[in-house]
Amino acid sequence: MTVDTSSAETFGWLILAFPLAGAIAIALGFRFWGKAAGWIGTGAIALAFASAIGAFFAIQDLPSESRQVTSSLYDYASAVGLDIKLGILVDPLAVIMALVVTGVSMLIHLYSVAYMDSDRGYVRFFALLNFFVFSMLVLVMAGNLVLLIIGWAFVGYASYALISFWYRRNTATAAGMKAFVINVIGDIGLMLAAFLLFGELGTFDYLALFEEAPGHFDVNDGALVAALLLLLVGAFAKSAQVPLHTWLADAMEGPTPVSALIHAATMVTAGVYLIARTHPLFELAPTAADVAAFIGLLTLIMAATIALVVTDLKRIIAYSTMSQIGYMVVAVSIGAYTAGIFHLMTHAFFKALLFMAAGSIIAAMANRQNIDLMSGFRKAMPFTSALLIIGALALAGFPGTSGFFSKDEILVYAADRGGMYWIFAIGGYAAAFLTAFYSFRIGFRVVWGEPCEEARELERGHMAHGEPENPVTGEKEDTDVGFPGPEHHIAERAWPMRAAMGILGFLALFAGLLQIPGVTAAVEHFLEPTFEGSALFEHHPSTGSAYLGMLVGGILALAGIALAFRLYVRRPGTTAGLVERYRGLHNFLFNRWYFDELLDALVYRPTIAAGRFANNVLERVLVQGIVNGTTGVVRGVGVLVRGAQSGFLRAYALLVIGGFAVLALYFLVVSS
Amino acid sequence: MLNVLLWLPLAVALVAVLLPRRAVAPFSFLGSLVTLALAIALVVDFDSSIPGLQHEVSESWIPDLGISYALGVDGISLFLVLLTALLWSASFAFAAFRQPERRRNYFFMLGLAETATLGAFLAQDLVLFVLFFDLMLVPFFFLIGAYGTGNRVQATIKMMIYTLVGSLLMLVGAIATGILVADETGELSFALADLRANVLSEGTQAWIFCFFAAAFLVKMPAVPLHGWVPDAYRAAPLPALALLSGVLSKVAAYGFLRVVFPIFPDAAIEFQELVMIVAVASILYGSVMAFTQSNLRMIIAYSSIAQMGFITLGLFALTADGADGAVLHMINHGLVAWPVFFIIALLAERYGSEDLREMGGGALRAPVFATLFIIVTLALLAMPGSANFIGEFYILNAVFQTKVVYAIVASTGIAMAAFYALRMYQRTMHNRLPEGKTSREIGLRDGVVLAPMVAVIVGLALYPGLVLERGEASVQDKVGAVLAAAECEERFYAQDGEGTQPGVAGIELDCE
Repeated sequence: MTVDTSSAETFGWLILAFPLAGAIAIALGFRFWGKAAGWIGTGAIALAFASAIGAFFAIQDLPSESRQVTSSLYDYASAVGLDIKLGILVDPLAVIMALVVTGVSMLIHLYSVAYMDSDRGYVRFFALLNFFVFSMLVLVMAGNLVLLIIGWAFVGYASYALISFWYRRNTATAAGMKAFVINVIGDIGLMLAAFLLFGELGTFDYLALFEEAPGHFDVNDGALVAALLLLLVGAFAKSAQVPLHTWLADAMEGPTPVSALIHAATMVTAGVYLIARTHPLFELAPTAADVAAFIGLLTLIMAATIALVVTDLKRIIAYSTMSQIGYMVVAVSIGAYTAGIFHLMTHAFFKALLFMAAGSIIAAMANRQNIDLMSGFRKAMPFTSALLIIGALALAGFPGTSGFFSKDEILVYAADRGGMYWIFAIGGYAAAFLTAFYSFRIGFRVVWGEPCEEARELERGHMAHGEPENPVTGEKEDTDVGFPGPEHHIAERAWPMRAAMGILGFLALFAGLLQIPGVTAAVEHFLEPTFEGSALFEHHPSTGSAYLGMLVGGILALAGIALAFRLYVRRPGTTAGLVERYRGLHNFLFNRWYFDELLDALVYRPTIAAGRFANNVLERVLVQGIVNGTTGVVRGVGVLVRGAQSGFLRAYALLVIGGFAVLALYFLVVSS
Repeated sequence: MLNVLLWLPLAVALVAVLLPRRAVAPFSFLGSLVTLALAIALVVDFDSSIPGLQHEVSESWIPDLGISYALGVDGISLFLVLLTALLWSASFAFAAFRQPERRRNYFFMLGLAETATLGAFLAQDLVLFVLFFDLMLVPFFFLIGAYGTGNRVQATIKMMIYTLVGSLLMLVGAIATGILVADETGELSFALADLRANVLSEGTQAWIFCFFAAAFLVKMPAVPLHGWVPDAYRAAPLPALALLSGVLSKVAAYGFLRVVFPIFPDAAIEFQELVMIVAVASILYGSVMAFTQSNLRMIIAYSSIAQMGFITLGLFALTADGADGAVLHMINHGLVAWPVFFIIALLAERYGSEDLREMGGGALRAPVFATLFIIVTLALLAMPGSANFIGEFYILNAVFQTKVVYAIVASTGIAMAAFYALRMYQRTMHNRLPEGKTSREIGLRDGVVLAPMVAVIVGLALYPGLVLERGEASVQDKVGAVLAAAECEERFYAQDGEGTQPGVAGIELDCE
């Protein structure tokens, strides 16, 4: 009996079509749209979201065993044994990702309509934002590795273009370049992985790969482990995991909605998605999965420690993002797929919310981002403050919020798998404490305390308007391309921002209810068909241990918040003393574990040195040397020629053309 | 049909010489459009299931010497012919809008060069190929020598010496091939089909192969035979340089497929690793050089060396998919190189310089220009989603399956390409404007030239299979010759006594 999958296919393609159409329409009419561009962009994503909902129900209507629908438009590049179709795979995992991506994107578009209102690049912004959503959806819906790589790289470009959106800032263009090149390294990893898998299995198609792999590979087969490690290079470059993470903090050069959308909610989770997508392969190569999990653990701890000391508001949130993605990577690598995807979802909600709130605060601070300058915004900006606290609660894993349920599910799973996997549980809980602390380092410092001058002004109804300057270098901005325009926008005064933040606040608080141990399991039930036959997916910690884990997690979260309360509200100023006492440690953390310097010394400098060597030494030898060797000839001819430069050329021309003419004539004569 | 296609550009050029000055440029451009239309008709008419030649023309030309006037088109040359016609039309438009001095001579040289280049792609006789190959360069010596900038005469002489040495070696090789084959068959013929049927002994193949390879690798150019490149690129007038880089370099790569693989298959196997090393060296060296340059032309010059390295690598993977990818990548590189040089001309007009250090902020008032430029840039760095990516994907996949180390080393070239290409875009269009410079949108006149070229890049990106599918059968045929030879060798060493004829992709070969 065949099942009619046409509606799932149609919705699958529509999810892609709307954002692409939006991007093209906005770009082509760039002189014409004006402020309408924002609404066109938002509308296009809303339609994509509606299509994703359609796909959700279409998939649910199918019998569980046929919920992996493939569809292809045409043979994209198929020849000589390679079969590369423009094909998508619509299954529960892809649909849930599409829902998160389009849903959060829609709200961020809405927020941007107001936030970017007076930026001179308004139309360009929405064209690129729509293009980003399209790219991300290509990545998510791709049915084969080639299309995945294409989406993967498109996302990288969109990220580049939006990081360097204010392209007259040298720091922004440099950050864009860094992000792009590291992402290309990831693309190369993916490409080599695809070659290796193709060489072994003869296909790029997900479902075919998954079907062939178990029969072809032994457990921990060398080729498979190698392929998956290469795949992880791609995943880690995109998801900012050690050691390919250094671009993410610099990416905060982009406008705040970009940070919220790309560098928190969607793009950086691509690596998590990829591991979940290819889980049948990772389960055949537990070694590769363990490597991934350990790197996730390292990243989550490292980033959490850095977030303790950084003072740039957006960068704190960026390091927090790295850390949270570390949790997800651990989750999908140790087999806690439901928990990983669930955390991906809740994180998208509360992290986007945090960035939005941060954007509102930064606007009120006239674009200054240093939290040392901020304090006491609770009266001036009650809405923003409330939502910021909601976001911080969810990030900290405060009992009952969405982040609480999703994070604990990961850690309980790790503990329950036991053995070596205890390390992940212990490390995860330790970092959870740090997370709670730094969340409220932001929360308390920005919201509580004596109002800073900007806050006091705002209470009297005046928004601060400093000269725009680069928050990194202090250089005066060249305002022709925005920053983010002469008018600043805060949530209190712009309903689209309030609406977007309000919805996300609701989700950040209550999305956890979808998946409460022993009570609900909506996410898991929905995902089941994708992970059919996976023993790790079926594995469940007992409800009792889940509750025990939640108790531990809850206590740690409260403890972290309490510590932050003590340090920043009760006795502000204690931290300065701590910094003095542990100067070495502080420097180590503040300089981000010296990773930038390490990469600089290991990669960048050698490459530049090679370039210089090639230029100054090799090229001399090759270009001048060889010729100058034969230059006896060159010079000789040169001397002869110098007297009658063009004369020589002319004679030569006549000779060759004449010769050719004679041959042609001969041909005519002979053939007649 | 091929006769008309081949000689039309020269005929137009000859007529144009007689026209009044004002009419020369428009007439030449319109003439090139007719050639383009013919080339498009050729593609439409093409039957991709036939591995052999289509629209064959074969006449005896100099029977005493066994030279014939044989033309034909197959899946390998099909899109190269179209690329030639397209880029020449674009260059005619480019030059027509900028009205060079002594334009009769200028347009005549361009027309002559087009005929010669088409001839090299269409020729099915070895001597005819060599003739067109050499003739093709002559107009470029003049265009650089007479219309170039800076140290143009020295650049011309250097290029001439390099390429003539290569050409002479090739001529010797061609004659030797004909005579040695004639020794066996008793009949002198230079027709490629005749030469192919009679494979020379391995030792003979080896030295003739070296002669041909030298000529091709110089022309391409490959490291370390690229000594003529920097000077020539610096001096050449841009409309000619765009063709030199976009089309002429492909003739050399094409020569490997058309001439070398079928006639010297054993030598191709023997020298496989050596050529691959040269290719990888070109990729690495070209890429590293490209990101240390500040002159835009030099960036593209070295980037071309790297891209040609990828093409050579794909060819010498000696598999059908590698070669098919190489054919696609030849088209890709031509389609990208031309617009880049055009953009360099536009930038030079805006900044009065071709040096990156004197540029910046160009995107400010020029969103359309910046958009067209970024599309070209992304194609240049072989961004996934572009046809360039599919070309490299096919090439590297083929190499990965046969010689994995080369693929891994070569793939670093992709990361470097990302860096040098984006750096070029960023330093010209982003950051701040230098003092006293203004950002200006692309004008209509230049827009109508650049936009269609970008549209072609986008179109091919949507469907790279267009080239791959049509190349498939022909490529299998050419590489099949090599594979069959490889199989012979294997059987020889395996002392296979069954006496069966190895046949790969329909090629039957005598295993001695």
